[in-house]
Amino acid sequence: MSRLHPFTLLAVAAALPALAWILPAPAGGAGAAVVALGLAATAGARRGLWPALLTAAPFWVFLLMLHDVATTVTIGLRLTTMAASFVWVVAVLPPPRLVEAMVAAGWSARVAYLFAATLSAVPLFKARGQRLIDTQRCRGLSPRGGLASRLRALRALALPLILSALHEVDERALALETRGLAPGIRRTPLAPPRDRVGERVARWGLALGCAAALVWRIA
Amino acid sequence: MTRLALEHVSFWYPATAAPALADVSLAVADGEVVALVGHVGAGASTLLLVAGDLAPRVLGGRLEGRVTCAGTATGAGRRGIVLPTPWTQLSGMASTVWDEVAFGPANLGWPKDEITRQVERALERLEITPLRARDPATLSGGELQRVIVAGILAMDPVLLLCDEPTAELDPAGARAVWRLLHATAREGRAVLVATSDLDAAAEVVDRVVWLEGGRVAGAGTRSLLAADAMCAAGLGTTVAGVWRAAGLAAPYPATLAEAVQRWG
Repeated sequence: MSRLHPFTLLAVAAALPALAWILPAPAGGAGAAVVALGLAATAGARRGLWPALLTAAPFWVFLLMLHDVATTVTIGLRLTTMAASFVWVVAVLPPPRLVEAMVAAGWSARVAYLFAATLSAVPLFKARGQRLIDTQRCRGLSPRGGLASRLRALRALALPLILSALHEVDERALALETRGLAPGIRRTPLAPPRDRVGERVARWGLALGCAAALVWRIA
Repeated sequence: MTRLALEHVSFWYPATAAPALADVSLAVADGEVVALVGHVGAGASTLLLVAGDLAPRVLGGRLEGRVTCAGTATGAGRRGIVLPTPWTQLSGMASTVWDEVAFGPANLGWPKDEITRQVERALERLEITPLRARDPATLSGGELQRVIVAGILAMDPVLLLCDEPTAELDPAGARAVWRLLHATAREGRAVLVATSDLDAAAEVVDRVVWLEGGRVAGAGTRSLLAADAMCAAGLGTTVAGVWRAAGLAAPYPATLAEAVQRWG
């Protein structure tokens, strides 16, 4: 799966949620959710399926608190598709490959970097969060125990997580400037991924399929 | 040829009333290594950011005075700056050390064979060729520091600005980087380095600029690192400090070799 061209992976990850919202509920959402969760499972239980289910679970809880069961199922399946598609694409698409593909397709390196950075933000935040947990543990904070103590721990983790990320943004901006990520110069693609004709056709097929489904639903 | 010139430069960070740099004048010529020394907060890092055209262009703030860098109109890579924290300088877009070092040259739009040539040379000079296939995220601080320096050198800068380039390195790694800075200058590049490694600086640099509170407190040859005023301020070399503490006559030697010569 990870050998596919980055644009193909993105097209699949975008088409599934689109179809989940366009196709009639609950069958359309259920079908899209099954496919999305199946794709997430191909990335591995720990890297794909489990994070997708964990990401979707809070939405189901909130929906149940706000709506009846039928509405919860309808919207829940759609949100599950979105979560699973995003988790899957983050798991199987290395940001450097996406940058290479976008630059080879004529996008500016800055835009490609910004786009790819959103994919790499999740694992980076996770790693930083783990470091902060270790740091706060050294200072006597316990992130385990009952709900109240977990909430206290969350407050002690969230603030440094956000502040350190904001601080690092400045330094990273400086570093990228010094490493030539400036407007007006076209980056040389070092190893652009191969874009096969079959994949291009499949991408157009997905786009046309979504458009056709939308027309069918409106009509 | 003067590569970098600062004339009466003052700089204020955004939303601050006191200048981080005040009336600083400085010139760095091709082929020389100039060290910026001073206490924490003296303005050395800010001076490098100004010289590297990052302040105020990227950071914001207000600049007075004139900064000129000869020959930088041809591309962003002509001024290379190594920042003090290597982990924030990783591109995040490379899965190997080779790709990380190639990140800058590729951004400059160079042909692939030129990128390959510069990257291989930089890896070799930093003695990190064996790391070429490693994931940058798995490197130690010292290895990462050398990868970042290699990434900047691979962009073939005419002016190299380094902020504490040996902070993460073990003594052997630090010596290798100092040797590299010296060799880089001898190839005709200008090197400006902010450092607290005064003993190493005394062996390598051609000139020293002493900053205090954003102002130039003194400037001269490397023997400035053994001057009585600098030793009194805690900015002299270890050898000079020992010589002074022992009550021996000035001028103090800056390096061990000079001390041995004096005793001899």
